[in-house]
Amino acid sequence: MAAGLGVTAPNARAETRGYVISMIHTATYANEDTCPSGGNGDTVDIRTRRLLGAGFGEEAALRIIGNGGVDDDGNRVDITRLHGSSAEAGGQPWNGQPVSPGNVPALSADPGIESAQGRFAYGFDLDGEVSPDDFEDPDSHERGVDNHMWRALGCFDVYRIRRPVVPYNESIVWDTAIDAMPAWLMSVTGENLSQDGEVTVTFDRSLNVLLRDAHGGVMSGATFVIDPDPRSHSVFNGTIKNRILTIEPGDLALQGESQFYAVLRFTETHLRLQMDPDGSLRGILGGYQPWRDYYHYLAIRGENDGQVDLPGVYYAMARLADSGADPVTGENTAISAAYWLEAVPAFHATTSGEVVGQSVGNGPKFSGPAANRAPSPQ
Amino acid sequence: MSAPRGYIRWVARASMLGVCLGLAAPSVVAEESALVRLTPAQYERSIHDIFGESIQVDRGIVDPGVRENGLLALGARKLTLSAAALERYESLARQVALQVTDDRHRTTLIPCTPVAASAPDTACAAQFLSRVGLFLFRRPPTDAQIQSYVAMAGSASDTLDDFYAGLRAALVGMLVAPDFLFRVERTEPDPAQPDTYRLDGYSRAARLSFFLWDTTPDAELLAAAESGALDSTPGLYQQIDRLLSSRRMEDGLREFFSDMLGFDGFATLSVDASLYPKFTKNVADDAREQTLRTIAQHLLDRNADYRDLFVTRDTFLTPALAAIYGVPLPRSQELGGAVPWVPYRFPDNDPHVGLLTQISFLSLHSHPGTTSPTLRGKAVRENLLCQRVPPPPADVDFSLIQDTSNPAFRTVRQRLTKHRQNPTCAACHRMTDPIGLSLEVFDTSGVYRTTENGAPIDTSGTYRRQHYSGVGELAPLLRDDPAVTSCLVNRAFSYGTARMPSDNELGWLTETRTDLVEDGVTWRDLMRRITQNPDFYTNVAD
Repeated sequence: MAAGLGVTAPNARAETRGYVISMIHTATYANEDTCPSGGNGDTVDIRTRRLLGAGFGEEAALRIIGNGGVDDDGNRVDITRLHGSSAEAGGQPWNGQPVSPGNVPALSADPGIESAQGRFAYGFDLDGEVSPDDFEDPDSHERGVDNHMWRALGCFDVYRIRRPVVPYNESIVWDTAIDAMPAWLMSVTGENLSQDGEVTVTFDRSLNVLLRDAHGGVMSGATFVIDPDPRSHSVFNGTIKNRILTIEPGDLALQGESQFYAVLRFTETHLRLQMDPDGSLRGILGGYQPWRDYYHYLAIRGENDGQVDLPGVYYAMARLADSGADPVTGENTAISAAYWLEAVPAFHATTSGEVVGQSVGNGPKFSGPAANRAPSPQ
Repeated sequence: MSAPRGYIRWVARASMLGVCLGLAAPSVVAEESALVRLTPAQYERSIHDIFGESIQVDRGIVDPGVRENGLLALGARKLTLSAAALERYESLARQVALQVTDDRHRTTLIPCTPVAASAPDTACAAQFLSRVGLFLFRRPPTDAQIQSYVAMAGSASDTLDDFYAGLRAALVGMLVAPDFLFRVERTEPDPAQPDTYRLDGYSRAARLSFFLWDTTPDAELLAAAESGALDSTPGLYQQIDRLLSSRRMEDGLREFFSDMLGFDGFATLSVDASLYPKFTKNVADDAREQTLRTIAQHLLDRNADYRDLFVTRDTFLTPALAAIYGVPLPRSQELGGAVPWVPYRFPDNDPHVGLLTQISFLSLHSHPGTTSPTLRGKAVRENLLCQRVPPPPADVDFSLIQDTSNPAFRTVRQRLTKHRQNPTCAACHRMTDPIGLSLEVFDTSGVYRTTENGAPIDTSGTYRRQHYSGVGELAPLLRDDPAVTSCLVNRAFSYGTARMPSDNELGWLTETRTDLVEDGVTWRDLMRRITQNPDFYTNVAD
């Protein structure tokens, strides 16, 4: 469980290294066995299926999509209406007005999207059980990995990728948001962080935004003042072993100010980060995430940017949610998930100017949004 | 648009001949006038002082000029103005004139209202052009000039049925006139010294103003010129005191040091982003500003000794600069707010000490992908000590120096040591390399390092027979070198007069150097000594 306020105060001789999160996105690991039925396709496939369902032929559907939503008679064919969310199209109205299926997905029928299968997915064994619907982490080879968010998303083309490719929607939003969003911070405190040992890992939000480097990535070595707001302060007991940083499970919460991450929160938070020689961290953050949080990210951006079938994801997540049972309805409110996380060295300071975290190392040449501009590893 | 006769002659000469208007500084012909072209900053500042800060000036249009004997200010007297450059000046003039006469500005900048907005008004045009001409030309325009510009305004107003369009045409003519683009320094017989010449009052005013404030003379200075006050010692000293006590001294100081330190190089600075990802365009801008802020605070706010700029740990940082220097900089930047400048003192155990370890110096004097002890050492010798380092011979083999992957020569010190075995190269490299090697712990972008290609960096050397282990020990040796003061004094005098000192003046400069070394090299004291020296108001080199 989270160390919280009960964590032992850091030893006076301890060192604290500061980091700023330079990239975070859904951890994807597409494989040949991920989508045996062929997957859910891309935006054109999703729209085509809807038009077919509304009675259009395949050729007509493709012409409408190619014409920006206009049919052969010049009439606008509203994809959302076709999906049945408006009274005119036979869907249910919302306060008498047609509504987007993204905002009120429960008004739409479940399209029954294909969910991801296969052996591998990033993440952690969150429930302590190895069951047939669990995955194996491709890097750590941990068994019993719970990652039902991957099941919900992994068969849309935009998620059928692996690093260094980042899901399109999350990539552009992060690249846009970090110039204005308070940065997310991590720190690691221990007696000797160059050796194996027990550590304290802390997450905070900053009052400052990230700085860009010449590649458009995140500049390491910058200074961030920690936001004293306790809503974004989470502390964990952790361990460094063979340059791998892990934590004891607990609750994590980070307030965000972006179009995508309004908040990032997990229960049973797990972490597995490699501590690179350049001073940076990279690896997997996982846990149970309120599934409506992630759906909210997608709905705000819409289907054009998200390139998913929003009602399909909504129903899939509701079906696959595997934690946080509502005491009244019994419905699970959280879903097992895994995120790829990178952080670069940074100084941390308090609002009074006291430096409480040191920036150690020069960081990677390509970081954050610029990471996929680095030469591919051979 | 028609133009005054003088303007037409000027354009024709420049266009057809690509004429060298700067002309070499006269030697014995002391009565000759001299022309010194305004720098881009002087152009912009003049426009703002005359018409207001709201007039946009694209200073990038103005050619920064050529460097001569270490200063752009010296090249400004020997400039060839091409037809293309004149076209750019005309384009800029049109931009300025359009703004001055637009609806927003005309009510405040034009002191009269025409009888009819669609017709010429000779009286109103003359009133405006006479007043503006005084400030643009830095002396009252002649009656013939005024008549010519008023006629031009009238002709254009008549043709275009627009009084302000006519005024605009005349103003463009003034803005491309040599009387504005160049400081026309005129001399007159010196009544105190027969057979010698001195600058006339208006030329004195301009020289003083551009030297100390880097801008056109203000109304009070022009009035002092008109009254003859600048020809008397008390009157001159009164104006010097006034200028020296102004906050605008910082403008003059910044432009002088920008010139002396070669900051025009930032316009073409190239740093390889794939090797130095922290070095962004903003960092380059910040680095330049950091050094100028450091100097201004040291010399003006603190009235401290110039030599201590070599050892000062006080500076200003932005968040991005701090990230490169590797130091924490807590700041309360509001989200979306302006980049904050934070006063900062490097700790005593920090490797950064003095101007030489600032990013501006380190990056300007490096190659895009590697450091260059030779370029850094050469910059110290030439820019700060006023010593001349000859260019390399044409047939030098640089392959060894440039091969950073040779396992036998992992550090640049090793490569340069080998290179110096060539006796042709040794003489100059012995001057430059030891100083530059002391800075090898800073890469091209200014990031601190201790190794190169895995090999430890040795920053030790000898300067004026004294050993140092690194720049921290070299910096005090440089500070105590009399050449540092001598160089500053000579450069400041040359910058202010836009000419090299004559042999006779060298004696005064040496005395000044000696006095300053004794008393302390403070900026206002140096400026006062130079501007109170009668030689400052002459145009003769020898």
